[in-house]
Amino acid sequence: MTMATINSDEVLIDCQSVWKIFGKNAPAAMDAVVQQGLSKTRILQNHGCVVGVSDVSLQVRRGEIFCIMGLSGSGKSTLIRLLNKLITPSSGKVLVKGKDVSSLSPAQLREVRARHIGMVFQSVALLPNRTVLENTAFGLEVQGVGKAARYKVAEQALAKVGLSEWTSRYPSELSGGMQQRVGLARALTADPEIILMDEPFSALDPLIRRQLQDEFRLLTKELGKSAVFITHDLDEAIRIGDRIAIMKDGAIIQVGTAEEIVLNPADDYVAEFVAGISRLHLVKAHSVMTSVQAYKAAQPTCDISRLIQTSLDADIDELISLTMKSRRDGLAVVDNGTVVGIITPRDLLRGVQGIPNELAPVATANAMEASA
Amino acid sequence: MSMPDFSSQFDASIDTGLEWLSDNGEFVFDAVNAVLNGIYEGVLWCVAYPPHYVVAIVMAWIGWRLAGVRFAILAGLALLFCDLIGLWPETVSTLALVLTATVLALVVAIPLGVIAGLAPAFDRVVDPCLDLIQTMPPYIYLLPAIALLGYGPATALLATFIVALPPALRLTSLGIRMTPKEFIELGEASGVTGIQMFFKIRLPFALPSIMAGVNQSLMMAFGMVVIAGIVGSGGLGEAIYGSIRTLDIAKSINAAIAIVILTMILDRLAQSAAQARVRASK
Repeated sequence: MTMATINSDEVLIDCQSVWKIFGKNAPAAMDAVVQQGLSKTRILQNHGCVVGVSDVSLQVRRGEIFCIMGLSGSGKSTLIRLLNKLITPSSGKVLVKGKDVSSLSPAQLREVRARHIGMVFQSVALLPNRTVLENTAFGLEVQGVGKAARYKVAEQALAKVGLSEWTSRYPSELSGGMQQRVGLARALTADPEIILMDEPFSALDPLIRRQLQDEFRLLTKELGKSAVFITHDLDEAIRIGDRIAIMKDGAIIQVGTAEEIVLNPADDYVAEFVAGISRLHLVKAHSVMTSVQAYKAAQPTCDISRLIQTSLDADIDELISLTMKSRRDGLAVVDNGTVVGIITPRDLLRGVQGIPNELAPVATANAMEASA
Repeated sequence: MSMPDFSSQFDASIDTGLEWLSDNGEFVFDAVNAVLNGIYEGVLWCVAYPPHYVVAIVMAWIGWRLAGVRFAILAGLALLFCDLIGLWPETVSTLALVLTATVLALVVAIPLGVIAGLAPAFDRVVDPCLDLIQTMPPYIYLLPAIALLGYGPATALLATFIVALPPALRLTSLGIRMTPKEFIELGEASGVTGIQMFFKIRLPFALPSIMAGVNQSLMMAFGMVVIAGIVGSGGLGEAIYGSIRTLDIAKSINAAIAIVILTMILDRLAQSAAQARVRASK
């Protein structure tokens, strides 16, 4: 508890080996998992229970967008509902701002949900009998905020998502994308630190979806919110997430930035997922560059100071453009005024394939010798 | 013990039971009688005191607000026709009976329906009772009612009340139970209290179903109020019953026409009111 309190400035949501088992015999099944370490299939056979979320630990930090990517049935929707206790975990702890959610009284839990954790649903769930403005103000209405005050805040939130003109319309008059914006505005009116997004854009068509993804990311960053974003679409996760967790069969297989996951997939399942993802904007110079010594060994005549300079964070796309402009076949990666590595055309090709430099050191050395 | 012995003894015990009830519970039934009669007289005064054309104009005005001009004109003319065939007093007393019985039934049925919708355990108790009420032929309720409350409008009211109860109760409970899951989740995630969940989320979604129940109860009440002519309900029901006994075919047909007019007007008004509610909630 003390640990959590100290960290609460940084970590907003802290899941500590959380389990959720569905079914009549869930407590017995949970015991069997703890004591005998039964597998998912055995639990289904022996106890007739379904493991929704299995031993998930994750931390969401202030200001970050944390994406949870998984296919349907992977338990991601269950997991996000454990965070605000719409579903009660079978075992494990969920700490929100350092407080164990399951230890809260009903009133405290309502308070946390009303003020600290907003939620946006795939189905949007706009009340059909209320106008856009009334829907947006719903959270504040529930908290007992007066009409004038809550409508003012709701109008501001609607302005942020670009729907100022639509306040007096009913949800049925809005397109799917607009409805989802209202959903986001509704979550923002209560000014929570954390927004839970449960596949909000999945039902939208691709163009609108991308537009909303960008807007969502901008808005979240601008307002300094943290978000947990559920999606079944890796492209979406990469576009939006600061960090991505890949989920399969209720467990998290890998957590990391998009670049980390694409360059070092934890297993074949993840590798298969990332196979089709374009590396051009994901892989950065620092992951593929050749060390200065290796480069010098291979090309002793080359004067490094004459190479075009670039930064550690330049992505492959940018590096390719620079290489095309350069007369020499290398770019100098500069960090704090010193050259820390060289990008060769070979490095670029490796980057496009998504193989980090350190994974192929021998090949690099051989290649350099051959070219020398 | 032979069968006839048994059946006569059974009948006798029922009779003594009823007698005992009416002897010992007299003050209760007198009170019930007085209250029912009082409410009925009050409602009747409201519709019978003004001259017939005023009532027709008021009904037409309500019809205009809820269902449009064409319906309003037709309804006003139809009511004037009821006066023309010399059945105005009977028409208004039937109107008063139906309204009183329906309102009483709704006052009981809607809250019970809400409880049944929220508490499955209560629903499991209520459901078979409603099945029983709805399977029995409606005029069955007249006999115990007449034994306990005597001949007159109070008996008709009680029997009509019982018959009008089930539809509104069932449809209210159904509506409350059918709240879409994602909206329950929305409420929970927004931190609503139990009362807020009910009034802000469950009730708006249940409203169309509840209004359908109101309409159904009204129609059941109409059916029953005519049958209740047998126990001296007064109004068109008794007019029909009387003209059947005297084979006054013309009068019975006139009364039937008046009932059809009244039923159609109230049905249409209730439906339009329900639609207006639903439209307002869209």
